[in-house]
Amino acid sequence: MADVLYLFGIYGHPELSPAMKAVEAAGHNVVVPSVRGFDGKAGFTAPEQYLDWYTIWWDAIDALGAGPYHVVGASLGGMVAAELAILRPEIVRSVSLLAPFGIFDASNPGHDIYAEVSAKRPPYLFAKDVPDAFVNRFVNLGPEEFPVSRYLCDTAAANMLWPFGERGLGKRLHRITQPRLTLWGELDVVSPVSLAQKWGGAEVIAGAGHLMEWDAPEEVGGKLIEFLASH
Amino acid sequence: MKMMWFHLMPYPDLPENFNKENRSVWVDIDPALFDPEVMADTYDNYIGQLVFAEDCGFDGICVNEHHNNGYGLMPSPNLIASILASKTSRAAITVLGNSVALYNPPVRIAEEFAMLDVISRGRLVAGFPVGTSMDTCYSYSENPGTLRQKYAEGIDLIRQAWSAEKVFAFNGKFTQLRTVNPVPRPMQKPGPPIWIPGGGSVETWDYCAQNDFVYGALTYYGYKQVRETVGGFWDRVDANGKDRNPHRLALTQFIGVADTDAEAHKLYREPAEYFFNRSLHVYPGYTDAPGYTTEASTRAKYKSQVRATVRAKQANHDLTWAEMVDNGYVVIGSPDTVRETLEAACTELNVGHLCTMLQFGNMSDELTRYNTQMFGDKVAPALKTLHAEWDDPWWPQYAVGGTHYGKGRS
Repeated sequence: MADVLYLFGIYGHPELSPAMKAVEAAGHNVVVPSVRGFDGKAGFTAPEQYLDWYTIWWDAIDALGAGPYHVVGASLGGMVAAELAILRPEIVRSVSLLAPFGIFDASNPGHDIYAEVSAKRPPYLFAKDVPDAFVNRFVNLGPEEFPVSRYLCDTAAANMLWPFGERGLGKRLHRITQPRLTLWGELDVVSPVSLAQKWGGAEVIAGAGHLMEWDAPEEVGGKLIEFLASH
Repeated sequence: MKMMWFHLMPYPDLPENFNKENRSVWVDIDPALFDPEVMADTYDNYIGQLVFAEDCGFDGICVNEHHNNGYGLMPSPNLIASILASKTSRAAITVLGNSVALYNPPVRIAEEFAMLDVISRGRLVAGFPVGTSMDTCYSYSENPGTLRQKYAEGIDLIRQAWSAEKVFAFNGKFTQLRTVNPVPRPMQKPGPPIWIPGGGSVETWDYCAQNDFVYGALTYYGYKQVRETVGGFWDRVDANGKDRNPHRLALTQFIGVADTDAEAHKLYREPAEYFFNRSLHVYPGYTDAPGYTTEASTRAKYKSQVRATVRAKQANHDLTWAEMVDNGYVVIGSPDTVRETLEAACTELNVGHLCTMLQFGNMSDELTRYNTQMFGDKVAPALKTLHAEWDDPWWPQYAVGGTHYGKGRS
């Protein structure tokens, strides 16, 4: 039975990250919701309100089974994971937040990847090379449809975060009562590590960028496995 | 054919090396580049030029809206339009327009446009652009994924507000108003004609055709580059079962007129180079916020590799004068050359409203007025009869400009 719910980040979910594969290898059963827009499928229309997104996410999560889960949320998915822990605590056993969005610091805003053309965005998300899984995502759709699916996936993420991912989570953080692990990439240029203070502190992953599970799979995987084992 | 005089209101003193030392003319342009004294003189000149255009016989005068922008100094076109409404008496006051999603609540537009229509005594054209990605998503941080839904809802509200005979409640997805009752209502009934400036989105063509709005192909790249866009628009007009009345379409075009072709090339080269290589220096990262472009238009964009190649060249801001002229970005020459070129273009494209742009870049006040008068006296009279067999139901009820082209200043 699935015990870990993984909520993906700002650049979508091409495949399970090496860190999450390590979690699976440690004996956990990881499930990932399929969320419209992020899947790149034609016909996506952005919902009007931020709250509407949670109808979409909750429906996708509920389709996976009842839970409760150890929830691991990365980047945009970290914001969703925090909201899940606050708004639906009954399905959250623990929550691991990997450089979550949801709180913005105007004094150190980080790099706005949406002020870059599509092709130039991925390098800002990683401290190392952009993983092939992201480079090749949607490529099988052909040269004309590939950029459309990429665009729709970006549209979904941008719609949730626009203009810079401030969603008032700072006012709700005290409502998270489940065990919590917070990790932050040392070299995150999108959500600078200084933001961790606003989340009550974090363990810093050396040499990792925003999507740290890909940059530092052993360390991130190890931290997650250790945390899950104790809760 | 109706001819309008369209002003972008560019800042005229961007430094020579602007495009080398600055990231963008739009969104994050360095505010230190703008001198308030220069701005004051510039507004004086530009407002004077628009009024002068009416004196030279133009059917209408046009203003538009941009934000955080070095080539468009009108974050509020309604402020300029209110001055024009007061200082003119015949020309259509064509506001192209108000970016609807940026007004909260959009009934503010219903109010301000109604004021303009009343002040001008029924001469307003109401333009409703979505607004560029730079203006809406980056300068005003509107959410790109919902921008167009909010825009369409706003137009519905405005139209209801103009025509409703009683107070009503509006329960939209983006705007909820318990009491809608704008005062004044427009002088024109049920409201001013609606024009939709667009950049070539498939949905906008259908939206205009289905609602009988004028589609404004407001390109900076002239009549040749816009063929694909205009063709797409007329195809959708046909598909929606509407007639091909040329007045369904408005087109912008940079124009420079002088006594001879050689003189025109000498006079207008510098302001054109200033505009295309300095004023249009827009950082590519701002041009398409994720979700700003519809899925259908995104798909169409990636299918058109020809268009992508042209755009890449334009984005480099290294256009030569010959390219600007040969590609039709600017129509330059003697009155005969300009007339022949525009007559052929507006016939081929079936344009009933030509938005002339006779000031561009850092063109001086003196040269702008010369260009305006040359066009009004020596080009417009021959073009005025084009498409005369068609009625124009999209023209303001009380605008009576365009009656004295070629007769000198009134």
